[in-house]
Amino acid sequence: MTLLNFRTLPAALALIVASLGGAASASADDAVPANDFRLGSYSVFYHASADDLSGPYVPAGLNFHTDNIETLYVGYVRRLSAHFAAELALGYPPLTKTYGVGPATVGSVPYSGQEISTARWLAPTAFVEYNFFAEDALLRPFIGVGLNYTNFYDRRSTAAGDAASGGPTKIELPPSFGPAATIGLSYRIAPRWHAYASYSASKVNTRLTSITAGVDRTSHVEFNPQALVVSIGYAF
Amino acid sequence: MFNFPKGLAAAAAVTLLAACGSSTNTSSVSNSTARGTLALDPPLRIASLNAATFAAELNATATGMQLLALTSAPVCGVDFYYVKFWTVGGANETTESSGALMVPTGTAPACSGPRPIVLYAHGTDTDKATNIADITNPSNTEGALIAAAFAAQGYIVVAPNYAGYDISTLGYHPYLNAVQNADEMTDILTAARTALPNTLSAATSDNGKLFITGYSEGGYVAMATQRALEAAGKTVTAAAPMSGPYALEAFGDTIFFGGVDLGSTVFSPLLTTSYQKAYGNIYTATTDVYSAQYASGIDTLLPSLTPIDTIFAQGLLPETALFDSSVPTVTVPDNPTESAELTAALAIPTLATTPLAPLFDLGFGTSYLITNDYRVSYAINVLTFIDGADPYPLVPVGSPPTLAAIPSAIPSPALAPAFYLRQAFNTNDLRNPSWAPSAPTLLCGGDADPTVFFSVNTGTMQAFWQDQNLPQGLVNVLDINGPPATSGPLASLGPLQLAFQASQTALLAYYESAAGGNLSAAAAAAAVTQGTHSAEAPFCTVAARSFFSQF
Repeated sequence: MTLLNFRTLPAALALIVASLGGAASASADDAVPANDFRLGSYSVFYHASADDLSGPYVPAGLNFHTDNIETLYVGYVRRLSAHFAAELALGYPPLTKTYGVGPATVGSVPYSGQEISTARWLAPTAFVEYNFFAEDALLRPFIGVGLNYTNFYDRRSTAAGDAASGGPTKIELPPSFGPAATIGLSYRIAPRWHAYASYSASKVNTRLTSITAGVDRTSHVEFNPQALVVSIGYAF
Repeated sequence: MFNFPKGLAAAAAVTLLAACGSSTNTSSVSNSTARGTLALDPPLRIASLNAATFAAELNATATGMQLLALTSAPVCGVDFYYVKFWTVGGANETTESSGALMVPTGTAPACSGPRPIVLYAHGTDTDKATNIADITNPSNTEGALIAAAFAAQGYIVVAPNYAGYDISTLGYHPYLNAVQNADEMTDILTAARTALPNTLSAATSDNGKLFITGYSEGGYVAMATQRALEAAGKTVTAAAPMSGPYALEAFGDTIFFGGVDLGSTVFSPLLTTSYQKAYGNIYTATTDVYSAQYASGIDTLLPSLTPIDTIFAQGLLPETALFDSSVPTVTVPDNPTESAELTAALAIPTLATTPLAPLFDLGFGTSYLITNDYRVSYAINVLTFIDGADPYPLVPVGSPPTLAAIPSAIPSPALAPAFYLRQAFNTNDLRNPSWAPSAPTLLCGGDADPTVFFSVNTGTMQAFWQDQNLPQGLVNVLDINGPPATSGPLASLGPLQLAFQASQTALLAYYESAAGGNLSAAAAAAAVTQGTHSAEAPFCTVAARSFFSQF
């Protein structure tokens, strides 16, 4: 949000186009295309663990879990060498739902199993990957390490969440930076078309603060998502 | 050239724009600090209990079960809101304060729609962190009592924590300051009425009826509020001040003449600090009033985050010894008669003159709070500026004050006593300026109360108003420890009086039993007496509800 404003947006878009165009032209002389766009499905499995909520008027044992989601995967992969590549993986920001875990009620307000909050995740992950075998091999396993950045937006406490919290509630989830790793396999369908399957894991830690009428309740959360990506890529 | 990172940053940034302004709002913070402004709207709901859950939580403890037996089972659920609002201190300083808004909820007819408000004032609390809205705190027994007695029976309850407590940054509590107390009650009522439609319990609304009640300090606050609201032409449907120190000057005189109440060493610093802040003339140094042993820091001692028992244990306050057990010999120049009278009157009361001597005796010790010099100055002022309710000097020398001693003369406060503490008592005495309730009023208390004496306070107000020829039945007095009413407007409260007296008898038997410590008859009686002021509270509170239910 501070990276850009609307005044600089056109410049940024121009930059993207220029970088892609430059990349495409740089690879024009090579036999192997340097760029690969991929589309597919992103199945995210959260292995979340969170401290119990703490703060004023919070009974013991209030926790929560996050539902797994499926979303659209968009990837851009840049060939660095015969074996190395860089990937930027993005999912269409999914609406992630959080459910109460713990006592059935807080006072008399239903809690456990209630959808208490939602947020959209913008979670780009950049990988540097090593591809095994020759570039024209039918099957190429790959492994990669990288960095995940997760920004949580459209953060909302639901009516059930507001009821449990005691009023209209604002939710703060600072962005997370964390390491990521991936392992996958590519299958050459045609010279420029490949199918991909990969499994990745990233460390996504943040500190949840829910603010209700001036009262802060907090929990340290480790979402630690793992994701199965199945995609088709076109190289150019 | 590898320019991927730039592209990454730009691509991420483009998508990040979607994140702007995305989180929902919480309560709005008021910009105004004007009196009665709700500081956070809507307020926090600390807890929401339906009738069954509230009953189950009360039934989980022995005291909760006793309370339920007295108040009867909850008809309504209760939502507990923590209200922060702007008010004033004892010198009209702007300060934030907090309190409770308890809203009845549920499907029973009495639990939603337009409902009456009970404006409640709590008793003296030494715990600076006290929050009557926090029903999750097991030590908040007064909050549980008013929730069970009123909110769970369909009354919206509004109750301040008082300036100087909880989040208030006032730095002291305007204790028994009639103007501030009424202002703060009025302010939380305004704030709560603002808050109610914006809460999660908006199905319940204010029907415009206003009942005012409170216990002990809160009894005083309730009466001061009734007086102020009626003077301002505001609706008061009915009021029930309970066990309050209403006739403050007469009560102060009784104490200085040796009728020392239980709790006086706690009340004293609260009072002197309150009046010093409001009027600036109580002392130039705390040693003007207090013995050197306790004077240092006493002006900021209470309320405190340190438990009162720890404060006693640390030697910062004597537990009961208000006065020096080495009593003064008074010399009034050229007046040997008055000298002799005063010397005798300031002696430690004995059993020969009052059955309450063992209680009063606790008020004297070698590690005492108030100096003899100050006590004598006060006493001389009493002789000069007579309070019509004083047992002294209107009774013969040698008869120390008794709780029942109300003189037959018109019990008006003194005219301008010009001794600053007594002047402050006079200013804040609820007979001053003269007034009478216009709404039906019940004064409930008990004549065995060792903390806030019944006759000198409740009895004095009753006598004061009797003199004003009020309409029949407007002012009603219930002595919870007295003979049960069998006729008249309070006849329905007779069983409550009997229940209180039975509970005291049972408690006496308990103290005499092995489980209660095998106390001697005298020691058991003393133990019962010590707890009497608190023991009366739930019975009087239920009496107040019964009284309100008529209107």
